[in-house]
Amino acid sequence: MLDATDLRTLVAEQRAPTQGPGKKVVDVREEMERLEAKGEIIVHRIRPENRPVEVTNLLGRPKRIPTDRLWHHKSCGQCGNIPGYPSSLLWVMNETGRSYLNEPHQTSCTAWNYHGTATSNPVALAAVAARNFHRAYETDHFPLIHCGTSFGDYKEMRKLLVENEDVRHKVREILRKLGRELVLPEEIVHYSEWVHVMAPEIVARRVHDVSGIVAAVHEPCHYYKMVPEDAVYDRRFFGGQRPAPPSSIVMALGARVADYSTWYDCCGFGFRHILAEREFSRSFANLRKIRPMVEEAHADVAITSDTGCVTTLDKSQWIGRAHGFSYALPILSDIEFVALALGAHPYKIVQVHWHATSVEGLMTKMGIDWPTAKVEFQEYLRTLKEGGSPDYLYPPRHEIERYFAINKGPVLPEEPPRPGSPAVKTLTVKEGSG
Amino acid sequence: MKPVLVLGAGPAGLSAAAELAALGAPSLLVERESYLGGNPKRWRYAMLVPDLKPTEEVLGGLLRKVAEDPRIDKRPSTVLTHAEPAAKGFRVTLRTNGSDETRDVSAVVVATGFEHFDSRRKFEYGYGRYPDVIDFKEFEGMITDDRIVRPSDGKAPHRIAWLLCVGSRDIQVGNTWCCRVGCSVSIKQAVEVRQRHPEIEAYVYYMDIRTYGLWEHLYWDAMQQYGVKFIRGRIGHITLAEDGVRLLAAGEDTLLNRPTEIPFDMIVLASGMEPGAGTTEAARLFGLTVGPEGFLAPASSDLNPIDSGVDGVFFAGAATGPKAIVDSVTEGMGAALRAFQYARD
Amino acid sequence: MSAVARLSRRTLGHTEAQEVETPALSLHGHRDRTPEERELSETMLSEFHGDPRYERFVLGCLNCGECTSGCPAARFYDFSPREMLQVAIHADAATLWDAMQEKIWACCQCYSCTMQCRFGNDIGGIISVMRELSVRHGLESARRTLAPFGRTFKLLSTVGTQLSPDMIQPEFFRDWGPTATRIDATWGVPLEVLRKAIPIDVLQTTRAAWEVSVQTSLELFRIYEETGVLDMLRGVDPDLTEMLIELVDERREEFEELKEQFRAELAASSAVRPVSPG
Repeated sequence: MLDATDLRTLVAEQRAPTQGPGKKVVDVREEMERLEAKGEIIVHRIRPENRPVEVTNLLGRPKRIPTDRLWHHKSCGQCGNIPGYPSSLLWVMNETGRSYLNEPHQTSCTAWNYHGTATSNPVALAAVAARNFHRAYETDHFPLIHCGTSFGDYKEMRKLLVENEDVRHKVREILRKLGRELVLPEEIVHYSEWVHVMAPEIVARRVHDVSGIVAAVHEPCHYYKMVPEDAVYDRRFFGGQRPAPPSSIVMALGARVADYSTWYDCCGFGFRHILAEREFSRSFANLRKIRPMVEEAHADVAITSDTGCVTTLDKSQWIGRAHGFSYALPILSDIEFVALALGAHPYKIVQVHWHATSVEGLMTKMGIDWPTAKVEFQEYLRTLKEGGSPDYLYPPRHEIERYFAINKGPVLPEEPPRPGSPAVKTLTVKEGSG
Repeated sequence: MKPVLVLGAGPAGLSAAAELAALGAPSLLVERESYLGGNPKRWRYAMLVPDLKPTEEVLGGLLRKVAEDPRIDKRPSTVLTHAEPAAKGFRVTLRTNGSDETRDVSAVVVATGFEHFDSRRKFEYGYGRYPDVIDFKEFEGMITDDRIVRPSDGKAPHRIAWLLCVGSRDIQVGNTWCCRVGCSVSIKQAVEVRQRHPEIEAYVYYMDIRTYGLWEHLYWDAMQQYGVKFIRGRIGHITLAEDGVRLLAAGEDTLLNRPTEIPFDMIVLASGMEPGAGTTEAARLFGLTVGPEGFLAPASSDLNPIDSGVDGVFFAGAATGPKAIVDSVTEGMGAALRAFQYARD
Repeated sequence: MSAVARLSRRTLGHTEAQEVETPALSLHGHRDRTPEERELSETMLSEFHGDPRYERFVLGCLNCGECTSGCPAARFYDFSPREMLQVAIHADAATLWDAMQEKIWACCQCYSCTMQCRFGNDIGGIISVMRELSVRHGLESARRTLAPFGRTFKLLSTVGTQLSPDMIQPEFFRDWGPTATRIDATWGVPLEVLRKAIPIDVLQTTRAAWEVSVQTSLELFRIYEETGVLDMLRGVDPDLTEMLIELVDERREEFEELKEQFRAELAASSAVRPVSPG
């Protein structure tokens, strides 16, 4: 008998869904090849140096996940409010010997602005996406998207640019004014997909025993509901019926993932709601997610893989006490949980102190000596306060990069290109043609 | 007269073979399974719409007639591997258990039927992971055995839901058409449950109720006599309920305009009809036109579904689209007549 | 209390003024339009239908309610994606106008509806189109909705990220609790020191989520200029827009000066000196 993933493959092969007037492109990657052949776009390809691992998407088609030479596309909410999130990811990359570039030359994806207040438009969103893609391309590192909303947005923007000639022309013109060309990556990759394929190497480095931990997983809406065909499904997890990340790494580490009645529900972030309709966000988060996670799943921790989800579920619990909810369920991203399980310093690396809901009970259960770590961190803070130098996960960037993207960009006389990096191509298509 | 090839021994094929025999014509009845009877036999359909007569009663006579008639050359466990047009009729190759045989046939009736949609493809329903989410063809077996219990723990259910249009009218799984009989069969099942076990609550979640023609009484009786509850809304997803034992079906009650979640002990999916592998293969072998949904396309579907447009090939049953058993049997008779005329002339 | 939160459960019927024609669909909160509003609503209806996304996002509706089954906003507001899609399909100018006052802002943009839709509609997407329209035309409801977001837009336009660590002030986020808003008090060190304790250089700031280079943030603003985003913003908050333009123009000048300065230094040294970040 075929299983769910095999059947999805059959569907994809037998009939491509048609939608609306004219057939919409089913696999955008095929159309990208055609556009590149016509000189309309440049495809940023995954190369052997990126050490890709192949997985399958919703339709059973292959998706390649690069694991090395990555360009970190950072998340506003993570870097601003949950710094342990990116810090844990970079730490795990260091531990597993993966190279990356983390630089100041990245803009916000601006999707939160768009989805929250509509003070943007698809051309602007697409131009921002393309600008960041081009930057990654010219540094010869493959973009890895940290935020779930950025990921959903970039999937949509890539589709828009591939399907809509008018938008493509407009964006190409704008990019040229910035000295850039229209580049689209071969895959839009979310960091949780990196974590998913790195499971064997991560598990091999596990330090703490998590077999006694029960986790409730919250699947971020924007990971799997925007451009649903482009998300990782794996028959080893949920029979291929629910997305593999972030549940897969939790299971691989040995923790138990417990089901609950509102698995498919949004967290309640809402974009503008988290700031301007707070009674909605916190009601939804507490009633529809946290309560079932605690009372049905009996979870020790809630694991998720998006900025907004961590923020909403974590920050909504304190006020819950005013309504008689005293759950105190720790909320962690998959990668923070991984870092803790691998023995990262809870405060210096995982930065758990930025979480509003205490993580300390969970750490005790994991066998982490957080009281000692806390004292170490307090001492570290003291030395910093007195002017000491911070520690870094990678050598800090040059001062000049506060202002200029010196490796490329039409600004300054450049350093010669590093050997092996591809020459940045110029497109042959002029405005108004193609 | 060379035999007429009848591909498929479901209701349509059985009917065609029986009718050919009544006309005095020999037939070669080829069936890929080891038994005759098609989907009703395979899934042990219990009571058939519209009159809730047992399958045995409705189709048993037909099966016996075919089994006993020597003019019908029955070939179970057989597939067709090759076909080429002859001066009149076709030369075909049959394969049974690895050994091939070539035969000349005077005409062909394609009655290769349908496959049920595999509900595992409707990921949000958790079919295959939640044991108490079952398919309505599996439920038929439960009714036949009169053993209506939860597969997970063997306990009797208190509340069962039927979800219509699973794998039908749904662009997300690629099947946009209606299966025609899902409404009637599901309501029939709900009524059967209420007849035998009035303590079990029955809910039907629907977008539309398509109990066509004179079958409408099923819908009226379900409500008037049997207290089946109908909620207008399609279920979005199924998860474990709060108690960790039952299942939660989340949808919108579109008549009350609000989201609704109700826990159930069992959820039955009305899985749709798809073109089967046999149908696709027959199209390839005989150069038949396949419609956009994958079913065989008759020459003029607004006039009759039997003439294929290819000389000497005739259609009967669900190979051309979802239909009820009574229609398949009727088309089998029509196809037999057309094939007979073609072979004789 | 925001306008959307005041939406109550739907009641049957509504009152109609004498001179207002009956709209195609009735929504709760229906109110009369002034003559100017009537004209504007006709314009918006035709722009709505003319938007190229309309015919891709709005295909037809089986009224199955799957979209609403997973909608978080439908549980708390008098709102449903099915209703929004029906408005998109059937609305005349009056009904679209009504929907654009409050209802469209209830949506969480989670895209549960779009993923579930069995017909292939993009409901979250069409709600975004309606929102863009209301912002572009400077509707009062859009202005009200955007009022709390001036600060984030300023951040985005100047530093290039959508938030900054120093935004989480106690008076704005009282309900997040002291652990979230007074992290400095918890550890007895200023926020700047806590940021220094993050082992990533570009995160060691309080004024942006991560330090975006000046060149990059100017690129972002250029995109906003070229794609009409500033014009949209001008419609709802002209003062903010003018202030942003001034700020960025200053920054551009500074940037050009810096370029000259560094060009000279680079020519002199012909290598980039690594400098420890201050």
